Amino acid sequence: MANRKRKLTRRAFMITGGILGTGLVVGTAGLISVNKRIRKYSHAGLGEGASLNAWIRIAPDNTITLAIPRSEMGQGVHTSLPQLIAEELEIDMKRIKVVEPQPASPYSNTFMMSQKPPNFYDGYDMMEKVFSYLTLVITGGSTAVPDAFMNLRYAGATAREMLKKVAAGRWSIDVSQIKATDGFMVNTNNQERLSYGELAQEASEIELKEIPELKTKSEWKIIGKPVARIDIPEKVVGKAQFGLDVRPENTLFAAMVHPSVIGGTIKGVKNQAEIEAKKGVKKVVVTKYGAAVVADNTWRARTAAMAMDLDEDTAGNETLNSDQIAKMIKDALAAEPIATPEKEGDVEAALANPKGKVIEGTYQVPYLAHAAMEPLNCTVLFEEDAVEIWSGHQGTSAVLNAVNKESGIKKENIFIHNTYLGGGFGRRGENDYILKATAIAKQMPGTPIMTVFSREEDMRNDMYRPGVASKFKAVIGDDGTIEAWDHKIATQSVMSQAMSRMTPSIPTKPAGDASTTEGAIHLPYQMANHRVAFSDVDLPILVGFWRSVGSSQNAFFTECFLDECAHAAGIDPFEFRRSKLDGHPRFKKALEKVAEMSNWTSPLPEGKYRGIALHKSFNSIVAEVAEVSQLGEKEFSIDKFYAAIDCGEYVNPNTIEAQIQGGIVFALSAALYGEITFSDGGVDQFNFPQYEMVRMPVSPEVQVHIMENNEYPGGVGEPGVPPAAPALANALFAATGIRERTLPLVKQGYKFV
Amino acid sequence: MQLKINGKSVSVEVEPQMPLLWVLRDELGMTGTKFGCGVASCGACSIMLDGKATRTCTLPVSMAEGKEITTIEGVSPDGQLSAVQQAWIEMQVPQCGYCQSGMIVAAEALLNDNPKPTDDDIDQAMTNICRCGTYQRIREAIHLAVKMKEQNSGLLGMVSPSKSERHG
Repeated sequence: MANRKRKLTRRAFMITGGILGTGLVVGTAGLISVNKRIRKYSHAGLGEGASLNAWIRIAPDNTITLAIPRSEMGQGVHTSLPQLIAEELEIDMKRIKVVEPQPASPYSNTFMMSQKPPNFYDGYDMMEKVFSYLTLVITGGSTAVPDAFMNLRYAGATAREMLKKVAAGRWSIDVSQIKATDGFMVNTNNQERLSYGELAQEASEIELKEIPELKTKSEWKIIGKPVARIDIPEKVVGKAQFGLDVRPENTLFAAMVHPSVIGGTIKGVKNQAEIEAKKGVKKVVVTKYGAAVVADNTWRARTAAMAMDLDEDTAGNETLNSDQIAKMIKDALAAEPIATPEKEGDVEAALANPKGKVIEGTYQVPYLAHAAMEPLNCTVLFEEDAVEIWSGHQGTSAVLNAVNKESGIKKENIFIHNTYLGGGFGRRGENDYILKATAIAKQMPGTPIMTVFSREEDMRNDMYRPGVASKFKAVIGDDGTIEAWDHKIATQSVMSQAMSRMTPSIPTKPAGDASTTEGAIHLPYQMANHRVAFSDVDLPILVGFWRSVGSSQNAFFTECFLDECAHAAGIDPFEFRRSKLDGHPRFKKALEKVAEMSNWTSPLPEGKYRGIALHKSFNSIVAEVAEVSQLGEKEFSIDKFYAAIDCGEYVNPNTIEAQIQGGIVFALSAALYGEITFSDGGVDQFNFPQYEMVRMPVSPEVQVHIMENNEYPGGVGEPGVPPAAPALANALFAATGIRERTLPLVKQGYKFV
Repeated sequence: MQLKINGKSVSVEVEPQMPLLWVLRDELGMTGTKFGCGVASCGACSIMLDGKATRTCTLPVSMAEGKEITTIEGVSPDGQLSAVQQAWIEMQVPQCGYCQSGMIVAAEALLNDNPKPTDDDIDQAMTNICRCGTYQRIREAIHLAVKMKEQNSGLLGMVSPSKSERHG
């Protein structure tokens, strides 16, 4: 903040300085239309009052409504983002009401695209402008806080200064004699008060010429504090509204049935008349996505849907099975790589003339389903020239585009209610269920249709975390140095498939992209020669972003193989890692912290073992130690996890702790039990009895420490996941001496109690 | 068919085999009880039937006739939160929150039956799935609810250290 008296850029003024209140239109044609929509929609449903900028609306009774354009899926973003605003606006969190706005340009998640801290109060660079105009209102990639950290604090500060200026005018005093305190401007000369509500209308027309200073960290009263979550009170009384809970008047329920084979189509329903005669059934609907029964009750719809005699085209994938898939992945691992995203030194030479011990290992992880607790659903009211839609989704802009595409209704006539998400984990960033629900509702205009996937339809029609194989070869020097590290990964690319889904007009070729190699490249450890290569597996299976994406498998591969290296060198796995982290103090400190928390250097009682792992994902570093008790040869209890997270400056330590605790459980469900297999062109698992989850007895106690520093915030929702599987597998090795390189562990004969 | 839900008598005209879950959600608009799996595996649909935690997604409504049905909406009927609900807030248990109606009902049923459960008792009784992984805080909240009930205060201020304070 060298230049304190910075001028507001023109764009910043538009977003922050009263454009919404005054209807002032500046800028290019594109921006005019964006602002039209902001005026028309973005604060619709936010109640009466005046908007001081895209995020803040204040009613005369001093109710403060914040437009928070990120989805609440349990990560606490409807609390953490308001904390940023409240800190600068000088309001108590209790005064805040949170509403999700319609997607609009100011709400773009530019950080997700640029990976740079966005700050449009200083002006965006060209790429950030492009990302902003694209209106990518997305919640994912653990980016909510990194994206909002500057902008929302400035949003609060500029609004505060606008209000202050009006108060100064009313009292005919200088702004310096006014103090903002919990929703009131106070005249420090005589303690006279004016509520923000009394000032807001006039303030919305104020033009600020200078950017206000942000508070320093030592002045924070709300940021960095364990503020209670805004959404929790309604979640303990059953009143929180998820997608499945909306009940627009006259809602009917559609039970969706997908083709039984990947890539197949349902051409018709042979017994349509019989189905339509069933109690409560209104209509059988066939779309290009599948068939559905619409009825007056979810159970009647589902029961009738199960009785449909489908006329299916199985599209040539009907023989696809897991053996075939495994062979394709194995072949790809043996083939020439299509990309080498990391190459330093001469690995070939180091392997040809090894100066030390050569070790090798091939790892494998299966396809995984997201299995959020709330099965996928979406409610659509299709009318002649408008669509209203209710759903819990990770990206309102994706919803808008999907509805527009499927319904043909103009974007400005589409209104989105983004409800709470009963789990997201990446699954609710996909738009397939929006398209399907819209296609069904389009055949029943005038009636809100809630399309519901049964658990079976949800699990068998996921966009899966792909199966991945990974092969290592390393040379470990006599003194424990890594002379060579050769790593090859074979999998389907999530990124290229997702891009093809989102922008089918732009062909995307698989490559060594982030979804395949993140967490396998840019490792912090010193290695003399290293190489990471990628081979693509071309399969028709739909794959998608699964909490922590590439790191979900790559941390397991790299941190387990690193453990193999440590054991080959005869060095303690913690010491081995620490000795290779010179020049990476943040990694080193997190690792040392978790060692301290877990008393790593002290021996454990007999029958107890530990494993360690360290991984950076989504700009945050997490070190974890797993502590297990051996109860039988392959029978274990997972007693405890210790986790140290460095996510830079943080907003809410309570939700961060929760994300790490939950992230570890999420990872353990996959490591212990998770496996999606295929036969006859379809998915074998269809409900929790076949796709088990960690439950209370197996769930470990997790102790979390958050590192203190002044680094820019990193992500929090995902980084707790990746180190858990390798920390556990390393602990199992310590106990058994058997190196498990394939997940899930129950399939290798393990039992967890 | 006459049902007794949260102390009130309710009349419904439905097929006797319709699972109670869908009577609650779609016929009566009581959406606090959730649909998770449809096969009585995850417990999101839990209610209390004569005080016992019961999964409703496979329970024919006819089986609930003549019994006391308590849903999440009935846990705090007059707006006064139960000790379990207060403990859930105090420990900041829910993440996405979708499973929590079922978890809270299961915890209420556990404490009705066993006012001071051990960790093992909690393991045995709390068999629902939470995909967000809030188990640790659920366990802590159950122990806290026991303390709150023992103090017979029902007041948040009586309990310490709280989740929030611990991090302050």
